[in-house]
Amino acid sequence: MTQIKIRKGHSIRIAGIPQKEVITNLSTAEVGLCPIEYQYVKPKLLVKEGDHVEIGTPLFFNKENPDQKWASPGTGTICKIQYGLRRVIEKIVIKLDKDGKGFSHKAIALNATAKLKREEIKSVLSESNLWLLIRQRPFNNVANPEDEPRDIFISALHTAPLAPSLDLVLKDQKDALQAGINVLNELTNGDVNIGISSNNQIEELTGLDNCKLHQISGPHPAGNVGIQIHHIAPLKPDDIVWTVNIQHVIILGQLFLKGEIDPSIIVSVGGPGAKNPIHVKTRIGSKIETVVKDQLGDDEYRIISGDVLTGRKVEKDDYLGFYDTIISILPVDFSRPFLGWIQPGSSKKTYSLSNSFLSFGKKLFNFTTKQNGSKRALVPINAWEDVLPMDIMPNPLYRSILACDIEEMTQLGILECDEEDFALCSFACPSKIDVGATIRKGLDIMKMEG
Amino acid sequence: MKFLRNIYKKVHPHFAEGGKLSRLFPFYESVDILTFWTDEQTKSGPHIRDSIDLKRTMIIVLIAMIPATIFGIINTGYQQALAMGISQGWLANFWAGLQSYLPIMVVVYATGFFWELLFPIIRKQEVDEGFFVTGWLIPLILPPTIPLWQVVVATSFGMVIGKMIFGGTGKNIFNPALVTRAFLFFAYPGNISGDEVWVKAADGFSGATPLAVPAAQTGGDAVALLNGFQQFDYSWLNMFIGWIPGSVGETSALSILIGAAILIYTKIGSWRIIAGSIIGLVVTAILTNLLAGNSTNTMLTLPAHYHLVMGGFLFGTVFMATDPVSAAYTNRGRWIYGFMIGFLTVIIRSMNPAYPEGTMLAILLMNAFAPLIDYFVVKGNIKKRMARYAK
Repeated sequence: MTQIKIRKGHSIRIAGIPQKEVITNLSTAEVGLCPIEYQYVKPKLLVKEGDHVEIGTPLFFNKENPDQKWASPGTGTICKIQYGLRRVIEKIVIKLDKDGKGFSHKAIALNATAKLKREEIKSVLSESNLWLLIRQRPFNNVANPEDEPRDIFISALHTAPLAPSLDLVLKDQKDALQAGINVLNELTNGDVNIGISSNNQIEELTGLDNCKLHQISGPHPAGNVGIQIHHIAPLKPDDIVWTVNIQHVIILGQLFLKGEIDPSIIVSVGGPGAKNPIHVKTRIGSKIETVVKDQLGDDEYRIISGDVLTGRKVEKDDYLGFYDTIISILPVDFSRPFLGWIQPGSSKKTYSLSNSFLSFGKKLFNFTTKQNGSKRALVPINAWEDVLPMDIMPNPLYRSILACDIEEMTQLGILECDEEDFALCSFACPSKIDVGATIRKGLDIMKMEG
Repeated sequence: MKFLRNIYKKVHPHFAEGGKLSRLFPFYESVDILTFWTDEQTKSGPHIRDSIDLKRTMIIVLIAMIPATIFGIINTGYQQALAMGISQGWLANFWAGLQSYLPIMVVVYATGFFWELLFPIIRKQEVDEGFFVTGWLIPLILPPTIPLWQVVVATSFGMVIGKMIFGGTGKNIFNPALVTRAFLFFAYPGNISGDEVWVKAADGFSGATPLAVPAAQTGGDAVALLNGFQQFDYSWLNMFIGWIPGSVGETSALSILIGAAILIYTKIGSWRIIAGSIIGLVVTAILTNLLAGNSTNTMLTLPAHYHLVMGGFLFGTVFMATDPVSAAYTNRGRWIYGFMIGFLTVIIRSMNPAYPEGTMLAILLMNAFAPLIDYFVVKGNIKKRMARYAK
């Protein structure tokens, strides 16, 4: 077991931390899948409105790579396919049957999962259309079944603001977790690397076989899988590694242990706008409305599928993102304090990684969606460098992307980066620059150039 | 403050698109945002943001300069009284100093804001807050005796050539305040060359600045010359506290160090640059001291702790070298950049007979070299990564 100490970064002290309690009685009548959520995918529909689908039935495939198909997250009738501008498929909505069957496969005992052959595993994943559980780096898109990943990385350490408690997520799931790891281990010639907390108290994360555990300590983004890859075994130019969310490892394990798709996940609902921050057991693709039931007051709020740093703004009639396990709720604040920028500041009113306000202590802060300033030219006061725990120079990289200098981007390590790892840079930037978006732009350029 | 908001609401249509004054919209917008903090919401990227913005960083630099400013104003009055042979309380000194300082400051801000507004209006951009700091810096690095028309010409030069033609705040190569001073230095050396003191007093009053004292004599001992100087008290302690003639803000090492502490604590000034330049200065001064035996140049005998408190070094390194835009932007680069400023300051001071003071030129020179330093630091990072890839 290796020890990794991460020093740079910051765990944001946001108010509305979810209580350690899981609500299980929420039922959603509809589930949805949003094709626009997936990077570098040109979706081609396989179903139309009115069709009846079962869980695991492919809904669409990627035109660029027809092996990649997206499973239906539920059994029911397709009630709506919504298109956006230029006929982009925004969402596919499925009205769930009362009790539906779905994909089934013979159940395999736990110790037999370690003996499965690579081809058997691949065929189960393809039949159940669940390749989307696995993503790859570089680019952070859905894995290509044809690839042979160098290693597989799983982060079992949550540092993102308001992330669900792992002990609740993993409770009684040790067999499924081990089965998932066994299966993943067969898919790579390298290792299955799992990053866990350095003071791990979770019984389920001890004594796991067929994987390498790495003890990681430090502030956010230490829990980001990209940061862990960088510190465990950094990517080289032609490397491809796969990453899987910890909850998806469990789904993968259940797929083999039970022989069916169990779409349930645990989602944390929190943030300064949430009335009752808590954990919720729901299913993949749930309607936001059902998850945030009884959470909102009368004021204006922003609901985010994902964490407050990297999530996607959603409305009540949208659906939970496939890879998201957090619903964050932020109040919207349009107040304009008189001479606000020279106020001394206080721990109630201001939150800054620089010490330029008189705010002391470690109190939780009621964040709003305010930007606290307007966009300006880059003034490098080291705000980015101080929160990026990677051997990457964010400022030169940012400049090389703006200049579309592919050679320099590559040399500066663009392929080791993902936008989520730079979210804290944007958070701390006094010029309010969205660094992550530029990193994504750089990755897009790299992808286009092949 | 509802009253003010209502006025803005009333005049807004005139400045909005289609209004009579729509060309002046950047002006309206800047006044609006200065009085009431912006309510802009996050659109892309993180949904929550740090409370700091560029206005805040600028205001912190300004706050850090306040001790030096207040001390400088009092000292200006004190030197004036001293030259005229009167002794008066610090309040009277402050008042007398303010009379020389305030006109310069008003003229600088008026000139600066004119350009700061003109360019965005023509370019249809948002006005930014860069001039807060530049405008505060300029009067502090000018002698209190400077003619106001020169201030106007130099500030215009500094603003337009030093900043605006590059695109404004964040895009300039040189520190605009230093460009302003360099312009004066070369265009009107009679008023600001750095070997004669600047004290507003009766005509014909003159004296040597501390740096000119050892520079003027060959084969002497710098410390003995300074301590033996009759006209002003050039002892180390007095120069550290700052009761000596000089540019308004630069004389008091003590009040500048308070400012440095503020900048470093708030993380807005780079401690690497400040530390690097002090190390550079000390190391180089020790080297020149060692060489002094082989030469008749008195400046070579000046010890490091004297170099530190004399002339504009501390002010320059704390408030001007740390300007994040014109400095190196990589951490390793900042060390090199700082070290070279300290090194060049001592070299120019002791080796160049034409300029008794070297800080301004050292910083300007390193501003020009900062991109090159960064280039090599970045290449170093690339080389390291390539070596890792090759493994």
